[in-house]
Amino acid sequence: MLKNLVVPLASSMLATGALANTEIIGSVDSKCIIISETAGVYGNPNPYELTTAPTSGGVQPIIRYDVLVADYYKAVIEHPVAFSSSPTLDDVVTWDGDVEVSEVSDTNMSDYDTNKVEYDNAHEYELTVAGSTWFKISSEADYGYTKSFPAGTYTAIVEAECIPL
Amino acid sequence: MKKYLVLILLVVSGPLWGIHASAHELTPTYPKLEQSYIPNVLQTKVKIWNARVDVNHYKLEVTDVFWNDVPFIAEEKLFKLDYMERREIEIFLPSDTTAQYICTRSMLQKGARSRSMISSKVCSKIR
Repeated sequence: MLKNLVVPLASSMLATGALANTEIIGSVDSKCIIISETAGVYGNPNPYELTTAPTSGGVQPIIRYDVLVADYYKAVIEHPVAFSSSPTLDDVVTWDGDVEVSEVSDTNMSDYDTNKVEYDNAHEYELTVAGSTWFKISSEADYGYTKSFPAGTYTAIVEAECIPL
Repeated sequence: MKKYLVLILLVVSGPLWGIHASAHELTPTYPKLEQSYIPNVLQTKVKIWNARVDVNHYKLEVTDVFWNDVPFIAEEKLFKLDYMERREIEIFLPSDTTAQYICTRSMLQKGARSRSMISSKVCSKIR
């Protein structure tokens, strides 16, 4: 009697289990994330010079761009051409800077530096490969004709933009 | 597939490696304008995520294809967004708008300790 009950019940449960199978559906949408990995620091190797060069006691800022889908975004990075805050300066500051790819998550990104477009202080990269790209920024400010920078704190801003194509 | 896994691992496990990364994200990439409940007014929504520990204010900008500001209405154009918070932003535009880009820009505090700071701006493109 019991056997007659258990067997159909077990079959029924197994059948229910089979029906309970469900799909997991996912999609990857285009997305751009700007990650500020290292905040830069100016070294002061000479009284008239502020530089992010590591050999001069500076730290180069590093920005990472993550794009989930290729060919949807461009990165525009501008190295500084002015201080956002500083002591009062009564002479000209000459600016120099550069942006370069420092690390990539995909070897197909290796031509990003070759293909970048430069104008003014902006460096424009089309993000044609999905993944992460690290950009290293260098910045140098020279004051007057080898004139000493006044004592104080100097801040300059790197602009990192992610624009859909 | 492997590429996406590496990317997801990088994003998720960064803090575990002691990398003090901080991120700024705006989605979707291509928001669509829809008719709002007000005649001749269009609306769209974007979502911002702040994972920048050094930033807690963002500015909303809407521009045309030449990066000129265009008129728009939002609850707040300059808003506070704490670390790891998300926010959905509703934007209203006139029906004849020339708006092309919706951008969020990180606002940095004057006199902050870091000497070289990074300002991030992420945009969405209206289609």
